[in-house]
Amino acid sequence: MRTFLVRAIPIVTLIFFILVMLSGDVLKKSFGNDDNITQSIAILMQDVDNENWEAADKDTDNLTRAWNKVVNRIQFSSERNEINNFSISLARLRGAIQAKDRSAGLQELNEAYEHWNDLGK
Amino acid sequence: MVIVRAFIGFFTLLIFARIIGKEQISQLNSFDYVLGITIGSIAASLTTDLSSRAWPHWVGLLTWVVLGLLMELISTKWRYAAKYLEGEPAIVIMNGKIMENVLKKLKYRASEVSELLRNKGVFDLNQVDFAIIEPNGQISVLLKPEYLPLTPKDLNVKVSPSGISTELVYDGIIIEENLRQLNKDKNWLLEELKKQRIKDISEVFLVTLNPAGSLYVDRYEDHLKKVTDIGDYKGPY
Repeated sequence: MRTFLVRAIPIVTLIFFILVMLSGDVLKKSFGNDDNITQSIAILMQDVDNENWEAADKDTDNLTRAWNKVVNRIQFSSERNEINNFSISLARLRGAIQAKDRSAGLQELNEAYEHWNDLGK
Repeated sequence: MVIVRAFIGFFTLLIFARIIGKEQISQLNSFDYVLGITIGSIAASLTTDLSSRAWPHWVGLLTWVVLGLLMELISTKWRYAAKYLEGEPAIVIMNGKIMENVLKKLKYRASEVSELLRNKGVFDLNQVDFAIIEPNGQISVLLKPEYLPLTPKDLNVKVSPSGISTELVYDGIIIEENLRQLNKDKNWLLEELKKQRIKDISEVFLVTLNPAGSLYVDRYEDHLKKVTDIGDYKGPY
């Protein structure tokens, strides 16, 4: 029993660490109704493209909420730089929507999508 | 985030160190030393370098450990490789004469050899018959026969075997397993302690028994009238 534990504990610990470090890809996926980043970005793109600024403003709030939820899950398996860059993109997007600037809004959304794809890779 | 990564780094390092290392720091050869520093440095950046993910650092750590193990395996299976990888002992003083060529090859100065010899308690080069620098950087010295310490055997004196003492009591608690191994029991121990005017086991800090059968007993109360203090300052430090 003792020998078993002496071997099993390190192996289980290492496997657990590997799972934590590689969990990003799985935990990025949506588990509920309000944490689907890809969908939120797609909706926002339509809003901004159609210059529907009121809806865009509301959908940015949704995206921020979803992002805050997901970031807690993926923080251990992702690089801080990508997390920060995504947050910065969100802030810029708010500015673009406030200024009702279609091209800036689309740029930020595409950049945010790129950061999202790179997270945990 | 840093805390979780610190946990990952710390325990991974602990497990890997247990797998790799049976040697003590002082026995490491130069490459083991570099290996240790590199692995430690990778673990450090795994913990604090938040600009990248933990995973690539961890894979780097694993690869270094696996390569280290591989080298160890090769050197245990293949003698020639062992000599190449770990270096071999080099004789720097032979029959009392310094081997200058060997020193040059090892990039050692004569003063460093003297330093190593002094560490071994040898202050006069005249006394040295052989001196060998081991792969771990330490020196092994064989003195000339006339300078070797006198032993009981030289005097034909009969001595009893000393052997290694066994702890019977530590911190006021009897170590039953050790008593059993020596075929003694608690009553015997208490009887022996009574002879030394100890009524209760909680009065003693340490009791050891050597193979010759003599007990070493240390009590909590030391009854020393004058305690020698070798410190320079009164403290607190």
